[in-house]
Amino acid sequence: MKRYLTFLSLLVLLLLGGMGASALQQDQPSTPSSQKASSTASASASHATQLTGEQVFQANCSRCHTPPMSIPQRATGTIIMHMRVRARLSRQDEQLLLKYMAP
Amino acid sequence: MNAQDADDSGNHAGYVPVVTGAVGYVHNVNAGVTTLEPQINPVLLVPFGSHLLLESRTEFTGFFQRENQTTGPFTGKVFKSVDYAQLDWLANSHLIATVGKYSLPFGIYSERLEPIWIKNIQDAPIDVNIGLRTSGAGDGFMLRGVATEQPGYTVQYSAYFSARSNINQLQAARTAGGDASIYLTHPRLELGGSYQRFLQDRQINNASAYVSWQPPSIPLDLKAQYDYTRTGNGYWLETAYNFDKLQIPSLLRRFQTVGRMQQFFALNGGGNGVPAINTQRFDFGLNYYIHDDFRVISSYGRSFSAQQDANIWNVGFTYRFVMPLWPERKK
Repeated sequence: MKRYLTFLSLLVLLLLGGMGASALQQDQPSTPSSQKASSTASASASHATQLTGEQVFQANCSRCHTPPMSIPQRATGTIIMHMRVRARLSRQDEQLLLKYMAP
Repeated sequence: MNAQDADDSGNHAGYVPVVTGAVGYVHNVNAGVTTLEPQINPVLLVPFGSHLLLESRTEFTGFFQRENQTTGPFTGKVFKSVDYAQLDWLANSHLIATVGKYSLPFGIYSERLEPIWIKNIQDAPIDVNIGLRTSGAGDGFMLRGVATEQPGYTVQYSAYFSARSNINQLQAARTAGGDASIYLTHPRLELGGSYQRFLQDRQINNASAYVSWQPPSIPLDLKAQYDYTRTGNGYWLETAYNFDKLQIPSLLRRFQTVGRMQQFFALNGGGNGVPAINTQRFDFGLNYYIHDDFRVISSYGRSFSAQQDANIWNVGFTYRFVMPLWPERKK
């Protein structure tokens, strides 16, 4: 019983720690990493497309890993095909990610 | 194969063969016994157009311990295994058909979090082998994809059948199963479940339920999974917090803290890749992203069981690489 309580306390501490740390932050439009990701998009790409591609990334890829910023453009299509299989993405999501990662 | 062409939708993504994957090294100390674990996991990707993909991941893991566990020179060997070697046909928006050797889609850990550059804590959960007998992979076919995609939610699925195989590097059990999950877009919450029927020798059912949550306003990643099989059941719960949104010096924003707790309850004597006795464990990790593809990892854990309580330390690094195998087209 003591161990269960210890585990429960650790869990609560973890959650409280995360929430406490978040209270220190201020609202920002995007994270440094996502800012870097946004910078890969060309200036001519529409803002709406960037947002949608980033949203697809946040909704799917970010569930498992941080944004990979150093993918050579000529490999992007192959990598996103691979991730479409791994993450069970739709064709539409794949296209939005391609525009986001290799505009 | 297209060397590098603009896609029909106007982007400039290239579809060239690629070797990607990760290199890592973990210095592990478990109950006073040191293990050196260098590893490299190359993934070969060969696209044929934009609808057909050949992909294969091989794992080379070194395992070196002192001759008498705590004294003497380090000895050991390098283990090699093919995690998957499959051909994928990206048929349409809802269907991907896979044939070959594939990772079994059971729970959230084995298929999605297992690569060394992704997992936050290098040691796998205690109950990770549930649903993954005998090799973590299946030989046969799998259908997967998006069942429906709406503004508020997405439903994803996998269904597979695997034949029994004892061929070297193609070991697999005769199994059938599936996985389904729903992702709620606005709360960024995923709920899912997996089922597997083990169809050889003693036929048994394996089941798993999992949750993944990334609250929109907090850079927190919470994942949990419960697994059940005839020889035991258990759960793990992991939270990771990235410092990248904090108002602190940029060098400190690259830290990530991780916590994981887990419990396993043995049933019917345990076995089949899971402990024979009840085991509990917690881990705390601190990772530092030097670059998005290179990070230093560290963790401390303590394991409790009737057999032994032990401290577990891990220190190391992981590096993710991407190497196109086709030169860039000259303009």
